[in-house]
Amino acid sequence: MTAAKSLASRALSWWWGIAATLLATSLCAVLLPTPFMNEVMIFAIYVSGCNFLIGRLGFISFGQPAYLAIGAYCTAFYLFYVGTNPLVGLGVGVLGGLLGAIIIGPFFVRLRSDYFAMVNLALAVVLFYVTQKLLVSITGGDNGLWFLTQMQSTPLLDLTAPAQFLWFAIIVATAVTVMFKYLDGTIFGACCLASRLNEDKLQFIGYDNFKIRLVAFIIANTVTALAGAMYAIYFGFVSPEMGSPSRAAEPVIVTLLGGVGTLAGPLIGAFAYTGMKDVISNLIGNWELFIGFLLVFIMLVADQGIWGTLPPAARALLVHLRRAAGRARN
Amino acid sequence: MSLDPRLVMSSVIFGLSIGGIYFLLAIGLSLCFGLMRIISLDQLLYYSIGAFVTYSVGVATGQFWLGVAAGAAAGGLASLAVERLIFRRIYARDPTFSMITSFGLLFGGIGIIKFVWGVVPRPVEVPTLAQFDVLGTQIPVYRLIIVGIAVVVYALIWAFLHRTIVGKAIRAAIENVEHVEGLGINVGRLFTLTFVIAGALSGLAGGVYAPLILVDPMMGLEMLAFVFMVVIIGGLGSIKGTAISALIIGQVVSLGSLIYAPAAQMAPFVIMLAILLIRPTGLFGVALTRR
Amino acid sequence: MPADGPVLDVAGLNAAYGEAKVLFGIDLCVAPRQIVACIGRNGAGKTTLLRCICGFVKPLSGVVRSHGSDLIGLAPYDVAKSGVKYVPQDKKVFYDLTVRENLELGSYASGDRNWEPALNYFPKLKVHMDRKAGYMSGGERQMLMIARALLGNPRLLLIDEPTEGLAPGIVSHLREVFTDIARKTSLVIVEQNLPLVCAIADVVYAIRDGRVAAMFSQRSEMSFQTFEKFL
Repeated sequence: MTAAKSLASRALSWWWGIAATLLATSLCAVLLPTPFMNEVMIFAIYVSGCNFLIGRLGFISFGQPAYLAIGAYCTAFYLFYVGTNPLVGLGVGVLGGLLGAIIIGPFFVRLRSDYFAMVNLALAVVLFYVTQKLLVSITGGDNGLWFLTQMQSTPLLDLTAPAQFLWFAIIVATAVTVMFKYLDGTIFGACCLASRLNEDKLQFIGYDNFKIRLVAFIIANTVTALAGAMYAIYFGFVSPEMGSPSRAAEPVIVTLLGGVGTLAGPLIGAFAYTGMKDVISNLIGNWELFIGFLLVFIMLVADQGIWGTLPPAARALLVHLRRAAGRARN
Repeated sequence: MSLDPRLVMSSVIFGLSIGGIYFLLAIGLSLCFGLMRIISLDQLLYYSIGAFVTYSVGVATGQFWLGVAAGAAAGGLASLAVERLIFRRIYARDPTFSMITSFGLLFGGIGIIKFVWGVVPRPVEVPTLAQFDVLGTQIPVYRLIIVGIAVVVYALIWAFLHRTIVGKAIRAAIENVEHVEGLGINVGRLFTLTFVIAGALSGLAGGVYAPLILVDPMMGLEMLAFVFMVVIIGGLGSIKGTAISALIIGQVVSLGSLIYAPAAQMAPFVIMLAILLIRPTGLFGVALTRR
Repeated sequence: MPADGPVLDVAGLNAAYGEAKVLFGIDLCVAPRQIVACIGRNGAGKTTLLRCICGFVKPLSGVVRSHGSDLIGLAPYDVAKSGVKYVPQDKKVFYDLTVRENLELGSYASGDRNWEPALNYFPKLKVHMDRKAGYMSGGERQMLMIARALLGNPRLLLIDEPTEGLAPGIVSHLREVFTDIARKTSLVIVEQNLPLVCAIADVVYAIRDGRVAAMFSQRSEMSFQTFEKFL
């Protein structure tokens, strides 16, 4: 009862921000092309898992495609082999991701952050192999699984219709954001942050570092799997390409692009990244070249991300202009 | 299940040669981590550059070994440029920071390679097709040459680190950078040297491995997971550990494919998980002090 | 050697770690062949002061000069090369290297191959030349650190807590060594061992909360009782 009450009171204190974002997103949903917005929204969910890992736990994972693929393939298996209801498929995907994270987590969260980053990338590569070569009889290898027309339409919001799927995606993205915002305010969120800053001291005051990290890992990667499941439903198709390690840096890049640990970061990053990708791919076609050096640039110059860099930069520019104007007057 | 001993024999040699390649790549990564505390994924870029330069020089001059030398030199030069322009600025930061940056470099570099050489995979001719008879098994001499190169490199690196004063300074700096600086030694130069050695070895690995694979822009990414697993199993910063684990992974991959080919690619990962479960810093990993 | 000006002249030194300011306008002067001791509580800023002088910490403002040449802005290895050497507190010799190799590194930087003078202070080291430095006792490691720093005949040694955790016998040995070294080289010693400070120091600076709280240059002023209140 009190938990619900504190949740409600806390929700009130920042619901303006959520409402404003929701409004802006809805406006974009009406104005911008639906496929673009769909990708942005799912991508934002995908990135928010990674954002939580980096921003709250200080763990950088280059293995996010692996967790994405787990969610996507679980959903795909259900919709391809068993049932037709995409909502159930979504549930299966999330459950699969949850299970995967519970199994993998205890191995990984014990590691130092640099080993963690590398082991995750290795996981992504191995899982890519599994879906592409090892389990060809189930996954269809590079041909993938195609079930777009097998899905039945759902009541209220028809997930098989892209335009309605978008509203579903916006709702899910909002729910995920609210959840992360809520977690930030709890003692668990504080512990995560503390474990990032000084794990020893956290142990001394009586919290189990391992458990905190494990729970955070499971939450983050279940959200990632949720994004995977949504991709699967939206495209009606999965292939190993989705979990390709060559895309391992994407969530990390977008997290950095948006600004680590900020709530709006994933959404802004996803917007910017998807937009750039569309424009650049059409323009020069050499996407790796651009994204690679963009990443280096971000790391060297603007490691606070768009959200963290632009406002201070704008302020500095303003001050500079004002001074220049003052000098001109004198 | 009985295996043909001749098959096993050639498999072991195959495993040794691929382990040699893993070693050449992983040793740079491991040394860079030990000394500079960076995770330098861009080593795999110098590997691709080495292979492509070997291809181009080989086509232009018809001299394979000249190509390999040029490939190693190109790897060294590229790493020198990258160290001066980029890594120098980020040594002081967290290792994962360098990992992201180097991932960007790897990707940007792949873009440049695509731009220069295109996306079509290129074949490189094997310099010698001679076979060597071991107990009735035909072993390609070139595989043995690769093993030989890896052994020589190991010996040279060992001698460099233990017998030369610069090598001793590097070993000392792996333990404690600040004390080395306090003695009046320019640690920045040691960093540059180590990074360039690593880059050149990666280029060398790309060059000597080129005839056995197709040279294409993504070849570095394909190698990435294995090199990672070698480094992690061996323990970051340990030369001995890297050599041993390269040996193990090479054999696991090649002997594993005799038993069940698809699973052979998975086996190193399982081994890595098992070892990390027992020792989170790998077999010979250095216990890190914060800097 | 340009002999104008003191061996070390620190004036108005301010330093901070991030937001936390540690040193507030420190002034300190070391004349040739002098032993200067810095005393003070843990966290008073003594180690930071030494690290500022030898370039490991970039000060916010202030002057650090040695024989008239500016040390601020020099890289730590350039400070060391100019003859101002730092012996840190942690007694971390290079564990994986032998005693000989540890000394070789000292020679490599300074170009000084004559180990005799340094080793004569610590005859014990001669016995263990090919032993890994990590296997030695704390006292021997401290000796090795000092011997290593002495190669190249520095004009100033900055030694941080040299006797911390060492047996009394070794402490008295170090006391003699320090007086010997001071015939040629100036010393700045951060030390909590007050009897040692009283016995060898020419000048004592008491540091409290990042400031010089008091300075004593007369033998008559130096006593356990006077110093104790600064600890």
